[in-house]
Amino acid sequence: MEVQQGGAPAPAAELVVSLREFTLSDADAEAFMSWASDPRVVRFQRRDAYEHVDQARRYIADHVLPHPWYRAICAGAGAPLPVVGSISVKPGPAEDGRLFRASVGYRVAHAHWGRGVATRAVRAAAEAVFAAWPWLLRLEAVADVENPASQRVLEKAGFVREGVLRKYILLKGRPRDMVMFSIVVDADTDRRRQQNKPDGP
Amino acid sequence: MEQEAPAQPGSVPAVTLRRFELADVDAMMEWASDPEVTAFMTWDAYTSREAVLAFLRDAVLPHPWFRAVCLGGVGDGHGPHRPEGAVSVTPTDDACRAELCVLLARAHWGKGVATAAVKRAVAAAFGDLPGVERVEAVVDVDHAAARRVLEKAGFQREAVLRSYCVVKGRVRDMVVYSVISTDPLVE
Repeated sequence: MEVQQGGAPAPAAELVVSLREFTLSDADAEAFMSWASDPRVVRFQRRDAYEHVDQARRYIADHVLPHPWYRAICAGAGAPLPVVGSISVKPGPAEDGRLFRASVGYRVAHAHWGRGVATRAVRAAAEAVFAAWPWLLRLEAVADVENPASQRVLEKAGFVREGVLRKYILLKGRPRDMVMFSIVVDADTDRRRQQNKPDGP
Repeated sequence: MEQEAPAQPGSVPAVTLRRFELADVDAMMEWASDPEVTAFMTWDAYTSREAVLAFLRDAVLPHPWFRAVCLGGVGDGHGPHRPEGAVSVTPTDDACRAELCVLLARAHWGKGVATAAVKRAVAAAFGDLPGVERVEAVVDVDHAAARRVLEKAGFQREAVLRSYCVVKGRVRDMVVYSVISTDPLVE
């Protein structure tokens, strides 16, 4: 976001991306359909493309609203900013009842690809959950090996690429190779670890 | 940690896998209560027979794939059917992926027993668990002996997953290894 300085006119507006909670409104359900019904977006998701807005309405009510952390990605121009995607962070898995990990996933309507929306949304989500959850030490994300755009989003958002996990996730009935990424904070200093530790002996 | 002895012709241990029974509780107690055996496990060494029995009854017997590792006639006084360890292959939320864990009594470290048990388990589990195409194992970055077992058993090292597991109260980096159903068989 540009900050006004003195009386000079603001430079060409940088892309504004913000996150907010979803509502049960018709508008949110319809916005949801803009990516949930698009085969180009759902290609790398487990779910099949939605065909009717009632599916989006039901998903928002049953899954999104009760979710620990699910946000609408708002971007573009106008007030209020239009909803162009969604991003969710799922805590866990816990070990021995201890939570320290979470995983992030996101989807953006095709019309808004290639402008940095996802990168800004992922960065904002990572900052938000590390601030909101003091127990969080590892935030991870996976991207299909055939989805280099998503891999770039995660790298630009500050995630470290850890490696390729073969036949890791079942996508529409087929096991897919996935690239694993993470942001990790040092438990003692609360500072991010920038790169992988050197390999052991 | 003991070094793995190099494999010599004729010295490959005869390892068999079988289902556990409640009667295995005392043999299991010996290695499940050994802190050196459980040092890199996410769970603590067992301290009571009742806890081991409950684990057998509630976790092991109903498990989709959990086997006792037995040695065939090595002439050390133990019968061929006594469990010297355990190997499990646990399906995850993704039907194509299962996780392997292996545990072995200290007396049998460094002899190729764990490697043989893992090879046998992987071959059997791919057949027994429908849909599983990936068997993975995560190992503490400092657990060199376990990493060697997996490498010798034909697993491929894929990545270091940072701050991935909690072991004895400490968050640890883990190396993830996998074998895919279409990988060539080792040995």
